[in-house]
Amino acid sequence: MYGIIDCDNCYVSCERVFRPDLNNRPVVVLSNNDGCVVALSNEAKQMGVREGTPYFEVLSQFGSRSLSVFSSNYELYGELTGRVMSIIRHEVPVCFRYSIDECFVSLDGMEHIDLKSWGENLHRKIRRCVGMPVSIGLAPNKTLAKMASHFAKKYKGYRHCCMIDSDAKRLQALKLYPIDKVWGIGRRYAAKLKLHGCNTAYDFAARPAGWVRHTFGNIVIQRTWQELNGEDCVPDEQLAKKKSICTSRSFNGMVADLETLRTHVSNYAVRCAEKLRAQQTVASVVSVFLTTNTFREDLPQYWNSCELRLMSPSNSTTIIVQAATEALRMMYRPGYLYKKAGVIVMGITADSPIQQNLFDVNAGRFDKMKRLDAVIDRINKVNGSETVVLGSQQYTRDGGRGKAGTFADAIRHNFRSPSPTTRWSDIISLK
Amino acid sequence: MSNIQIIDGEFGKRLKLHLAPSIKAGFPSPADDYLHDSIDFNRDLIKNPESTFYGRVDGDSMADAGILDGDIAVIDRSIEPADGDIVVGYVNEEFTIKYLDLSHKADGYIELRPANTRYKPIKIDDGDDFEVWGVVVWTIRNWHK
Repeated sequence: MYGIIDCDNCYVSCERVFRPDLNNRPVVVLSNNDGCVVALSNEAKQMGVREGTPYFEVLSQFGSRSLSVFSSNYELYGELTGRVMSIIRHEVPVCFRYSIDECFVSLDGMEHIDLKSWGENLHRKIRRCVGMPVSIGLAPNKTLAKMASHFAKKYKGYRHCCMIDSDAKRLQALKLYPIDKVWGIGRRYAAKLKLHGCNTAYDFAARPAGWVRHTFGNIVIQRTWQELNGEDCVPDEQLAKKKSICTSRSFNGMVADLETLRTHVSNYAVRCAEKLRAQQTVASVVSVFLTTNTFREDLPQYWNSCELRLMSPSNSTTIIVQAATEALRMMYRPGYLYKKAGVIVMGITADSPIQQNLFDVNAGRFDKMKRLDAVIDRINKVNGSETVVLGSQQYTRDGGRGKAGTFADAIRHNFRSPSPTTRWSDIISLK
Repeated sequence: MSNIQIIDGEFGKRLKLHLAPSIKAGFPSPADDYLHDSIDFNRDLIKNPESTFYGRVDGDSMADAGILDGDIAVIDRSIEPADGDIVVGYVNEEFTIKYLDLSHKADGYIELRPANTRYKPIKIDDGDDFEVWGVVVWTIRNWHK
């Protein structure tokens, strides 16, 4: 038996832990730089706010009084979700966290207990201890567990835990489940399946195996089909590490010149390299994208992205930044006002052993850079992030006010909540 | 010609081992039967790290209980609050630290009682949307500034 445990409206729920007055009230959390809505409470959804809506639109449509607005505070979200994962880890033999707010668990050897009430109790425990509501789906494989967690979230009657443990329940769930929500089926494949008349998970599962193989020839889709039919075949590695890491932000204002763009892109690349090192992986492809403000139809528009494959897979700050700035240079066009850029690292594999490219003449530098990155990571961990930065990371445009000032101004977060679990200065005040 | 492969040793990592009792001839020392770790406040005072939060006391409403302005309270949310516990509640959009008084539960209300005669108890009716946020397990005061 597998389980998936998913934090409900994760970022909003984190904000509510220290603001119980916001329970049952509309709350939205904005993306980095306060660009658009990245998370929202059910109450905000009911008002008609949608994920991805730019903040200025939310403001003009709903006003600032009707809902509570927060800048994203990943320091807080990371700490509280870490507590949730830690509680889960104590309860199960195998726990696999695959995103900030979700984890898979294997319940092998626990079949003798009443798993449905175990799940309900786990929800209560996490709610009580951390203040986080979770939804739990239990099923014989990962795809069905994901589906069950969706039902647990949607219908109150399940008391936060839905278990698919018989063929009758499985078929009933498949019939109610739209094909584009099935885990492992991307938007592109969902569209193709709909063209073939598969609108629900049931329609797809009822097709013969030969048809699936013939129509798609894609192992992930075939496994999904098998799992919908009750088999257990999606390997753990498929969830293992995230397939790509993306760091992107809207700029504070618009940017025209290459130098400032290079600074932004360098910073995003550094963040990607840090994330790679934190999960002990390396990437083989660095991609950069760049876009003008698509909301400003009065201005000339330009959008492009550029990918570079690294000679050897790497997680070195220096190498990832070099590749990213090179990619930026290749697609940059003067004469446009840019609004957003991002760096995506892909082709991610485990840190060692790294396949050294025969033609990579710099192989010897590799060890030196690894040591340098380790030292920089340690300094930035002890003394606060961005104590040591690359020259290309520094915002020099505003000049004269030193590193700290220009960095602080680089990202807008006007509505950020305190971080009561990670900073003594922010712990709650008790009257 | 022979192939010699040189393998670098990896000495960067250290494995921590408990010190075994020293090996001696003769009678073993009875004290060697027990190995003790050092006292560790994180381990010994924080039973449930996942549910433990900290707060700073603001004001003197709990002065007679020995809780003073500026003290740090260690709050455990996993504990089921009981009558007489010192708890943290959320009332009128702020956190408050008080004694929990459940003696009037049968009459349809509970009270958050201060430990200072200059303050009044906070009465909470059955219908109010109130939840004890956490139970205070320790308070910490710094004496050497």
